[in-house]
Amino acid sequence: MKALLQRWLAPRPRLEHRQAERLSAWRGLPDAGKKSGFENSRCVVLDVETTGLNLMTDTLISIGAVSVVNGSIVLADSFYVVLQQRESSRKENILVHGISGSVQREGEAPADALLSFLEYLGKDPLVAFHVKFDETMIRRAMRQYLGISFNRPWLDLAYVMPALFPDLMHSHRGLDDWSSYFRISNEDRHNAVADALATAQLLLVAISIARQTGNSGYEGLRSLERTFRYASGER
Amino acid sequence: MSAIHASQLSFFAAHAPFDRMEHKHLLWLLEHLRLSYYAKGEVLAEPAQGKVERCFIIKQGMVQGARQGSVEAAVFELHEGETFPVGALLAKRAVTSVYRAAEDVFCFELSADDFHALLELSLVFKDFCTRRIAALFDQSNQAIQAQFAQAASEQQSLSSPLSEVIRFAPVACAPSTPLQTALGIMHEANVGSMVVVDASSKPLGIFTLHDLLARVVLPGLSIERPISEVMSSDPVSLPPNAPAYEAAMAMARAGFRHVLVTGSDGVLQGILSERDLFSLQRVGLRQISGALRQAENIEVLVSLSKDIRTLIHNMMAQGVAAEQLTLFISTLNDLLAERLIELECAASGLLESPLCQDICWLVMGSGGRYEQTLNTDQDNALLFTVPKGMTADQVREQLLPVALRVNQALARCGFPLCKGNIMASNPKWCLSMDEWKVVFSDWVDQGSLEALMHSSIFFDFRALAGQHRLADELRNWLAKLARSNSRFLHQMAANALRNRPPLGLVRDFVLNESSRLDLKINGLTPFVDAGRIFSLATGVIQTSTIQRLRRSAADSNIPPHEVEAWINAFLFIQMLRLRHHYEAIAQQPGAGVQLLDNLIEPSMLNDLDRRILKEAFRQARKVQVKLALDYQL
Repeated sequence: MKALLQRWLAPRPRLEHRQAERLSAWRGLPDAGKKSGFENSRCVVLDVETTGLNLMTDTLISIGAVSVVNGSIVLADSFYVVLQQRESSRKENILVHGISGSVQREGEAPADALLSFLEYLGKDPLVAFHVKFDETMIRRAMRQYLGISFNRPWLDLAYVMPALFPDLMHSHRGLDDWSSYFRISNEDRHNAVADALATAQLLLVAISIARQTGNSGYEGLRSLERTFRYASGER
Repeated sequence: MSAIHASQLSFFAAHAPFDRMEHKHLLWLLEHLRLSYYAKGEVLAEPAQGKVERCFIIKQGMVQGARQGSVEAAVFELHEGETFPVGALLAKRAVTSVYRAAEDVFCFELSADDFHALLELSLVFKDFCTRRIAALFDQSNQAIQAQFAQAASEQQSLSSPLSEVIRFAPVACAPSTPLQTALGIMHEANVGSMVVVDASSKPLGIFTLHDLLARVVLPGLSIERPISEVMSSDPVSLPPNAPAYEAAMAMARAGFRHVLVTGSDGVLQGILSERDLFSLQRVGLRQISGALRQAENIEVLVSLSKDIRTLIHNMMAQGVAAEQLTLFISTLNDLLAERLIELECAASGLLESPLCQDICWLVMGSGGRYEQTLNTDQDNALLFTVPKGMTADQVREQLLPVALRVNQALARCGFPLCKGNIMASNPKWCLSMDEWKVVFSDWVDQGSLEALMHSSIFFDFRALAGQHRLADELRNWLAKLARSNSRFLHQMAANALRNRPPLGLVRDFVLNESSRLDLKINGLTPFVDAGRIFSLATGVIQTSTIQRLRRSAADSNIPPHEVEAWINAFLFIQMLRLRHHYEAIAQQPGAGVQLLDNLIEPSMLNDLDRRILKEAFRQARKVQVKLALDYQL
């Protein structure tokens, strides 16, 4: 509880000159705008590793991301960073994501790590599976270390997939369910990049299906997501 | 460097040729890949797209290719880890097939430019792409060798070039050298042989200590005489790059103890004795061949036939390729059969009869093609000319009992009796020259199914024992007959096309009821049939499938690289078959040859072999397409 209070009551973070410059350069980037199709745009598929599953108390350990450019995954355009931790996460969680305490302490300074991520992302839209979790973790870290409010568009495949495959919605909930349905292999589950790649492969499937049903493009999938949330009682 | 590599490296480490590429080249590749998705039914590449722009590596799922324009749609499958369309990329042209996702497919894609850049960067990749099937064969053969390596690790391979096997510089002298001087030099140098050379170091003959007793001491020849009077002239010589097994074969066939090694200019470079080769073999080839030649009765031959098997196993262990292996088997089986026939002829008094000058023992089928394996059954026949004052029936009466003894003795040596009774002891197949010509003419004229079936066995005949000139005469006569009869060739081609390579539409292979694949009928026969037809059509008189394909290629308008791909495919299937026999015997030592079959379960093959087998079957299809084109079928 004490840690929680400290975090809430903490003053705005102080950025070094170079860091402030990097941040304002990112802020100055033009917005990608609402491009129509995936065929001529870039979006970033993301997955995070955290100290635990509690949105309130746990913190961000690493970010893994791959980009989908013009409808396919560009392997070279991928991203991974580990954030330096004040104290390493609990032992059972280390076992899940496999990032040892020493690696966590050796990671990049959080502000630099997040700036690198922003530079990788640019102003392109984001995609994740169970966005709420990833977005909360990223937003909080951005506010804590860079002092910014990170409001970017997100697309949530956890809603898009069941919207596209209504027959499977009850039997398929998690990333693992959908991955195994499309036989997407993941040799390194719980590594943020590997999970982001699996999520990105799901996105490729979604793009292909959506193209057939007329809901094409990032915005098309977003509206599909909204409709599905509405229909399933979420507002 | 991007972050994705670690998670993808394991995929590439599991598939050829990426598993052999240098790490930095692999990383370069990863940096240039995209990953795309194709829903079931979607087209990845098709001829209409023009010059192909991407190289695909299947990460997951199955892609089906369909060749356009062929009457019977030739469909092939590509699976996880396979790279395509390499041919079109190399030639910078459009693909010739439509590639369609047969299920949900994730594919790594490399742009055509990056593909060519990688070719320049990585030798392994270039080798794989330009040699493709050949490179896969190499890799598989290395795996086979590794499998047997424990048995043969200390042994130098029989495939080593002679230049590596030669241990000493040759000792040589001029033809005028007195024997005394020559013997002195041999003694000094502690060698058993002396090569006699002319002024330009080209070998004229060879003299060995072995010859001393028979040619010098016993005849009481003066040791003042020049060595040229007692040397063996025209010694066998081979080029330095010839593999050791060729020397072994030369020794085995001719019964020499030495083979010379000479450069392309004919200059002596070395001498190889059988002892040099002994170290390469567990069971000596010449030992066996010598023993075969001197065997005094059938019992000895029966036990030697077991030694032949042991020798063949050791050769497999040394990684001797299928082509040489089948040639070895044929050579040794020939020697055995020759000696056996000799013994039986002597026992039945035929050797003393003047008839002996008029008979030729023929082998047909795989024996005729020098393609015997460990489970080859007997296919043989007799050819004779009728001496004055006798009738063919009278000759037959004398020959048939001897032939029966030979057939039965061969059966005891592990060559099962022919189930179709295509054997010399069958009066139908013990015929005079004139009778054979009538029979062959009838087959060629009729073209009935039975005639075609017989042609496919008998037209592979060659002489084994007796008067080889008779077989030559019949062969030359047949070459003229068949070449001029296009209707017959057309029927043979149509018949050959009834046997389709078992490439599946749904899975890799079409299997029989027990989910197995017949390597002989489904795999080898298309090549064998085509070789026979091409050779008959172009007047080629060779009987081995490889020789037939090679020698008829030019006249049949087949590009050399295509023929070599066919031959590689043929040899690979043959190797799989030999290995299958080898394993069956290893599992059940002492099991009779009757138990050996040609059926394999593709699921038991490793990935690499399964892929090559598929590729080999594709080549079989290509051979058939060529036949169909030639004969408008």
